[in-house]
Amino acid sequence: MSELKPIFNALWRSKTGALLLIVQIAVTLAIVSNAAFIIHDRVSFLNQDTGLKAEDLFRFNLYTFGKNVDIAKQQEIDETLLRAIPGVADAVVINQVPLSGSGDSTNFHLKPTPQQSRGARAAFFMADENLLNTLDVKLEDGRNFEAADVVYSQGFDKTANVLLATRSYVNELFPDGDGLGQTIYLGDNPFKIIGIIAPMKGPWLDDEQADNVALIPQVMAAPFKRVLIRTEPGRRGEVMQQVEKVLLASESERVVSRITGVDKLLLEQTSQDRLMKNMLLVLITVLLLVTALGICGLALFNVGRRTRQIGTRRALGAKKSDIVRYFLLENTLVSLIGIVLGVGLALAMSDVLMRHYSLPRLDNWFILYSLAGIYVMGVLAVYWPAQRATLISPSIATRSV
Amino acid sequence: MLSMTNISKVYRSEMVQTNALRDFNFQVNEGEFIAVTGPSGSGKTTFLNIAGMLETYTGGTYQLDGIDVGRLSDNGRAELRNQKIGFIFQGFNLIPDLNLYENVEVPLRYRGIKAAERKRRIERCLEQVGLGARAKHVPAQLSGGQQQRVAIARALAGEPRFLLADEPTGNLDSLMARQVMELLENINKDGATIIMVTHDPELARRAQRNIQVVDGQICDFKLYQGGLEKQRAGAEV
Ligand SMILES: Nc1ncnc2c1ncn2[C@@H]1O[C@H](COP(=O)(O)OP(=O)(O)OP(=O)(O)O)[C@@H](O)[C@H]1O
Ligand SMILES: [Mg+2]
Repeated sequence: MSELKPIFNALWRSKTGALLLIVQIAVTLAIVSNAAFIIHDRVSFLNQDTGLKAEDLFRFNLYTFGKNVDIAKQQEIDETLLRAIPGVADAVVINQVPLSGSGDSTNFHLKPTPQQSRGARAAFFMADENLLNTLDVKLEDGRNFEAADVVYSQGFDKTANVLLATRSYVNELFPDGDGLGQTIYLGDNPFKIIGIIAPMKGPWLDDEQADNVALIPQVMAAPFKRVLIRTEPGRRGEVMQQVEKVLLASESERVVSRITGVDKLLLEQTSQDRLMKNMLLVLITVLLLVTALGICGLALFNVGRRTRQIGTRRALGAKKSDIVRYFLLENTLVSLIGIVLGVGLALAMSDVLMRHYSLPRLDNWFILYSLAGIYVMGVLAVYWPAQRATLISPSIATRSV
Repeated sequence: MLSMTNISKVYRSEMVQTNALRDFNFQVNEGEFIAVTGPSGSGKTTFLNIAGMLETYTGGTYQLDGIDVGRLSDNGRAELRNQKIGFIFQGFNLIPDLNLYENVEVPLRYRGIKAAERKRRIERCLEQVGLGARAKHVPAQLSGGQQQRVAIARALAGEPRFLLADEPTGNLDSLMARQVMELLENINKDGATIIMVTHDPELARRAQRNIQVVDGQICDFKLYQGGLEKQRAGAEV
């Protein structure tokens, strides 16, 4: 360590360049560690398990304009037709589509209104008894709903009185874990929890309660409906091409639109997150490059500025390795100071981000990774200039006056 | 202790080839004080650089204390230089970002001398050149003569057996030049062998032996027995 003292003193006596570099390293560390953390956060968000095989699911809108069409009856016919298309695993008319970014949610309570009781919000999907199979979500506990449970209505004139829900939702209402078989209320309409389904996401990934999902056996007849279809793996494309023809052949006074894969909807929903992730990646890369250039540039500048003293040092007995060592140690010193400041700056920045953008607290590992990365990058960046310095001949000492 | 046989040095650039030294034969004995004179461009610095292993030579053999310098690696030369040779340059070549203490310390660090011993030597050598009180100053705060004395202290701190000086007084006025010369004479008396390149005939005359380099060869060879006494007595040369 005593070796660092004269290097530090020399640095201190001509400090402008070094100070700028220290600031640059500190800022880079602060931004890179926070950005890397946000990227990591976004990547795990984007790669999370939705519980659904989005690549086998697609949806479309069905709008009936014919005034004389018996919509409720036609829905039954449609489902039968769709399920008969080769390659279709199952199909349902549904109120909203999972992972689509658009959905319905509501609060169920432990007691009917007007009594006050614990409530919790859930996204809900309404369809007939084929819903669970269409989603291809496992039943973990209890029973699935049957044809007899399904309520056909025009609106909310009557409601189903059973439902399935994810365990995380049921446990939010019944923290003791004994929710199966209990009755919860939407307003004063009772719903018995008859089954617990495997984890799945609702319509929104970016939702505090994205895991709270309820499935309700109810079909409302309405001119505008959504249809969700699951195909056998690899056959979605061919099925998507057929649905319009099949449906219009049965009843032509309607429009089929927005035939879209659920995976595509998911991508649309997360486009902001992917954009942010990519922009932060570019930012990190640019910052690291600029800092590497800064380190390399200052070292090159110093090699030029110190040509004579390097030659003199060689004349006084320095080996080439001593010269490389000098530059590496000098860079270490600058990096260390920059890193110490940068750690403080990173924490402060994380604090601001936490307060203003409700981001989670910066994981210290990311600071550690980033500073290790920046240090290694600095060593690499200084190595070439240092190597050039070793080419300076000791005879410079006598040849330049 | 130093022996050069048929040393030659050729500088090649794209256009020209310069024979800086040709069939250069030279012996130096332990304890000598040799002054090297000669016209500009004659090869004095080249000779000194080869003697100090700052440059390699093109042909011939050079032995230092029985070691064949031509067989040494770059590292080997650096080590030998560090252990046996002290340099004094015309341009002083102090490191501007280091204070006097740290400047004198440079060669000692390369030799791996322990901190306590370094401190002892640095203080002694700065004292010896009369700058003990200014250890914390940086070179820019000193006059040229003072800077050269620091450079001498730096050369002395390594306790070299061999001191090479290329126009050590070239940038100094005559008063300072004489101070530096006296310092060198004292160092020589303490046992170090000195080779000094100079343009100043008066200083050259104070050395024990003068050689003249002309056109890359030694052309004139004079030996002054007890040169110092003769000069003080005003003797003719
Ligand atoms: N690096 C080099 N490349 C090419 N030629 C060189 C180089 N160094 C010296 N020379 C040439 O070698 C010859 C001897 O140079 P040297 O520096 O030894 O002379 P000198 O006697 O020290 O001169 P001065 O008294 O001016 O210092 C000169 O002709 C010079 O131009
Ligand atoms: Mg010269």
